[in-house]
Amino acid sequence: MRVVIAEDNALLREGLVALLREREIEVVAQAEDGEGLLRIVEGHKPDLAIVDVRLPPSFTDEGVRAAIEARRRHPELAILILSQYVEPVYTSELLASGDGGIGYLLKERVGEVRTFVDALERVAGGGTALDREVVAELVRGRHESERGGALGGLTPREREALELMAEGKTNAAIARAMVVTPGAVEKHVSNIFAKLDLPATDDDHRRVLAVLAFLGAGEA
Amino acid sequence: MSTDDDGRSGDEYEVTVALHGAIAAFVGLLVTIVWAATGAGYFWPVWVWFGVLLTVVVHALGRRGVDVLEGRMRPLSFHVEVTVFLVAVELVVWALSGGGYFWPIWPLTALGALLGVHALIVNRQLLPSLRERELTERVDVLTRTRRGALDVQAAELRRIERDLHDGAQARLVALSMQLGRAEERLEDRPEVAELVRQARGEAGAAIKELRDLARGIAPPVLADRGLVAAVEALGQRSAVPVEVDARIARRLPPVVETAAYFVVAEALTNVAKHAPSASARVTLAERDDTLVVEVADDGPGGAAETPRAPGASATGLNGLRNRVEALDGQLRVTSPEGVGTAIRAELPCGL
Repeated sequence: MRVVIAEDNALLREGLVALLREREIEVVAQAEDGEGLLRIVEGHKPDLAIVDVRLPPSFTDEGVRAAIEARRRHPELAILILSQYVEPVYTSELLASGDGGIGYLLKERVGEVRTFVDALERVAGGGTALDREVVAELVRGRHESERGGALGGLTPREREALELMAEGKTNAAIARAMVVTPGAVEKHVSNIFAKLDLPATDDDHRRVLAVLAFLGAGEA
Repeated sequence: MSTDDDGRSGDEYEVTVALHGAIAAFVGLLVTIVWAATGAGYFWPVWVWFGVLLTVVVHALGRRGVDVLEGRMRPLSFHVEVTVFLVAVELVVWALSGGGYFWPIWPLTALGALLGVHALIVNRQLLPSLRERELTERVDVLTRTRRGALDVQAAELRRIERDLHDGAQARLVALSMQLGRAEERLEDRPEVAELVRQARGEAGAAIKELRDLARGIAPPVLADRGLVAAVEALGQRSAVPVEVDARIARRLPPVVETAAYFVVAEALTNVAKHAPSASARVTLAERDDTLVVEVADDGPGGAAETPRAPGASATGLNGLRNRVEALDGQLRVTSPEGVGTAIRAELPCGL
């Protein structure tokens, strides 16, 4: 996996590079601002870009804008946004920028090295990895009357499974989190696919579509 | 007495005065002829002239004279005019009656004394008016400086938020990364790895506390994207369906944006708490340099605002009211039983 990093804080950038190198993930280039990100994506054609939300010169949402622009130019580029705060608006914008290959994690999750590297690999493979707090915020905004349609037909347990799926968890991990057998999770997941009327293509892609349907519901 | 003295009515007035003057002249001429025809003698027509001319002068001064001053000074100025007029009349009468003993001294003294007393009274009444002017100036200064202080405070809070983000939070994140790496290398010593994991947990808790603190100051999306985006985000995040109707084309002063944001946030929290099955509508509009924020729900209504106890900490609606009133704004809650609750804040945007 070839990775680029856009992060203006040298301490965090160096920490991240060191951590990834230890896990034998190749960091091919680093940038400190949005312009730099676009340049290194152009120059190195990486599989994945790890991008901080706040970048110079504006120190607002420069990173999100640059990442969406990079993705517009290179649709195959996977993006993992790292942020110190949860902002569902940005997540929604990122999710709208393409079909999967999107992650949004709080920065402190990097410390959970194995989970973090799993998330990286999943995003690079076209999946999603959303921070549990991001999912919680998005879920809080979903309610019966607004959800409507197919999502309204899910049982509470199926919704819970879908939330965990949105975080990017595998069936085994979902089973552990819900304290049920993997078989029960598989049943929930196939019910979700059926209720959302998702085509019987490969399983990974359907997971992404289900999550997108879930997170996209009720968006303005 | 009418004070609208536009050109036309002024012209009409002057014409009637001129007509009056002409009649007076005619009467004067007539009595002079009568005097001549009746064999002259003592020139009594002078008294008729005097009397008729007096009516013309009164007519001419009439309205214009009284309209000179407005407000508290008006009765006094009227008094001065009347006094001057009476003095003139007495002097003329004295002169016409052939001078001699200067009897007008007595009525003149009385008139002067009366005017003096009146002037004293008015002066006493004017004193609070001076004080009023001072107070008005003081209020202007205080309004300006309070707004300045609030702007400074808002800017300071945003700076603190930014410093937290780039400083303490970033360092804690870096610490958490390093602890994570250390944990990875301690696979063969699980009890030490557990200690490191706990340390990472503490760092994570500190990061979360700082994040909540920063969000309480001003949510990043408000600074990044402005009030409309931040309010739409609140709507999406709310536990009740929220429709947002925002008509604001520009970025407003930070202190106004922050106040409006917290009004909407608090109002939506209240809707979710007290009317969970209701839906809400948020309206943002700028009218005459005032931001009008309204959050209305179709819940059961009948919400009562708890009165602000002196010294009580500012929470909920009372806290909002403090925030809004500090900006010279107004916060109104209407909650008729069975109709729903509406919170409306009006926030002046400029100075």
